[in-house]
Amino acid sequence: MNGEAIIRCEGIAKSYFRDSLEIPVLQGLDLEIPRGGYFALMGPSGSGKTTLLNLIAGIDRPTGGSLEVCGYRLNDLDDDELAGWRAIHVGFIFQNYNLVPVLNAFENVELPLLLQPLSRAQRRARVLEALALVNLEDRMWNFPRQLSGGQEQRVAIARAIVSDPRILVADEPTGALDAKNAEEVMALLERLNQDLGKTILLVTHDPKAAHHARVQIHLEKGVLDRTVEVNR
Amino acid sequence: MKYLHLVLRSLFRSRRRTLLTVAFLAVSVFLVATLQSILATLDGFANNPNAANRVAVRHKVSLTNLIPMRYQDWIRQQPEVEATMAIQWFGGIYQDPRNFFANFAAEPEPIVRIFREEIVEYTESEFKDFLRDRNGCIVGKSLADKFGWKVGDVVTLQGTIFPMNPRLTVRGTWKSKRQADEQVLYFHFKLLEEGVPRIAGRVGSFWVRAKNADDVPRLIERIDRHFSDALEPTQSETENAFQLNFLKMMGNIAAIIHSITGAVLAALLVVTANTMAMAIRERTTEVAVFRAMGFTSLQVLGILMAEGILLSLMGGVGGIALAWLGAGAIQQGIGSVIPWLADFAIPTETLLFCLHASMGLGLLSTLVPAWRAVRRPIIEGLRAL
Ligand SMILES: Nc1ncnc2c1ncn2[C@@H]1O[C@H](COP(=O)(O)OP(=O)(O)O)[C@@H](O)[C@H]1O
Ligand SMILES: [Mg+2]
Repeated sequence: MNGEAIIRCEGIAKSYFRDSLEIPVLQGLDLEIPRGGYFALMGPSGSGKTTLLNLIAGIDRPTGGSLEVCGYRLNDLDDDELAGWRAIHVGFIFQNYNLVPVLNAFENVELPLLLQPLSRAQRRARVLEALALVNLEDRMWNFPRQLSGGQEQRVAIARAIVSDPRILVADEPTGALDAKNAEEVMALLERLNQDLGKTILLVTHDPKAAHHARVQIHLEKGVLDRTVEVNR
Repeated sequence: MKYLHLVLRSLFRSRRRTLLTVAFLAVSVFLVATLQSILATLDGFANNPNAANRVAVRHKVSLTNLIPMRYQDWIRQQPEVEATMAIQWFGGIYQDPRNFFANFAAEPEPIVRIFREEIVEYTESEFKDFLRDRNGCIVGKSLADKFGWKVGDVVTLQGTIFPMNPRLTVRGTWKSKRQADEQVLYFHFKLLEEGVPRIAGRVGSFWVRAKNADDVPRLIERIDRHFSDALEPTQSETENAFQLNFLKMMGNIAAIIHSITGAVLAALLVVTANTMAMAIRERTTEVAVFRAMGFTSLQVLGILMAEGILLSLMGGVGGIALAWLGAGAIQQGIGSVIPWLADFAIPTETLLFCLHASMGLGLLSTLVPAWRAVRRPIIEGLRAL
């Protein structure tokens, strides 16, 4: 692996606890992802893909090991610091888009910017820019229910990139889409990686989707099974 | 402020539920505000009688039997007495029987002294003019305004009890602390005596003012005993004798109103809490998404709380507006029948109470579900579909 690592996991362990019963999911996992990398995290259902993604994105905490992302040791940040860190460094893309139904596309994309010291005009400019990137400027006054699934996911992607984070995490982003829309979303992610240099961590079990990534990592029973460079 | 659109939109996510809750809140706050205002208004009368040391002396048989004017000489000499005044209910009609208001023939000199709690603001020179003019009268400001009377205008009263129609020149007006006390006209008792020779030397009642409220029971007892063997015995009572009885009854009304208020507020809390709990539970995932995007727990809590407080404030303000509209109706409708409510209004304290209560309600009902929502781990919120 070359280049400076933007994500560095060392001996990451994660267990869930149900009624004092320990459910180990990740067991001493090491992973480095370089700045500008595009990694697809694959593996069978229940193998811990989402768990790992959540740890790296800073919405969950490991039970062991050390986690360094974008130059911060996440283990050392408290909840509010972690929230502030997410606001700046990570963009989230979910399987079911998770747009706010009472806000239109423009307002949905604007949400993360409300956390930043920007004027209304500055926010507007950034929202328009993000919507242009996903090619949905003409839909900005539409509410989520007035958009197709593919369009909703593109709005969600615009929301994920509007505050210009270095890392995008996407958990099964095409899981709810038909082939054509899935292809469109994957092409969009690829462009964000190539043109804007976003580091992308994609969780998927769809080989076609995973093919867009540069590196495929396979998770099996809580440890990394193998890493495959995608040749194109 | 930049979250206002978000708060408002979220509030009306379920339009029906929100409107129903607001309507329920508004009606309840209206009820509470009106009941509390009635209580405050009645309290105002019962707890603050204009003068605790004023005694009315009349004929023992009835108000329509007149008593000799000379009784006043003896009463005035009693050590407890500050002032006395002969006064006669005239019961005159101005133009139309429907224009009902109180009008009395009274000895003019002591009026201001006897009624100093009612005649609060007046012009010295106007009242001097009144003393000099036997055909003059003084009227309360709001009564004068009602008929458009100005100083110098002539008001003709048509006698109903006495066969005379005095033509009175308005010499002055006064202001009182409350409207009900401005609905009165006084003219010279001498004018009545001249016009109706058969009453010469007699009058309906005396107002006696004791120097000290504590002396009143003794004074009443002494006056009535002194005249008990006379041809025309007297009956004396305090101005608020009636109000004392009233006060006893009030104790019960207050208890009822307070328990209704408590019950309504409790019901409101349950309804609002339920609405907010539902509104927040529906958004478990959304809360998690907000926090994943970098909103802190406190920021999300703030947004949810703003929503709850706004919801209950809308209801509260709506209810106060309803109560305010209703107050006008009560004052003009019921107030003309029940004099206690002639001054009915929503007191500032009641208004503030309702505002605070609805705000507190919003706060209380939202805090628990909102707190639980933001304490929930983000990953659980994202998994809850
Ligand atoms: N909050 C949780 N509590 C308990 N068990 C969990 C929780 N989240 C995930 N798991 C368990 O951890 C394992 C890995 O889950 P996950 O990371 O979601 O897998 P994947 O995304 O690869 O399908 C599964 O067995 C799942 O049941
Ligand atoms: Mg998963």
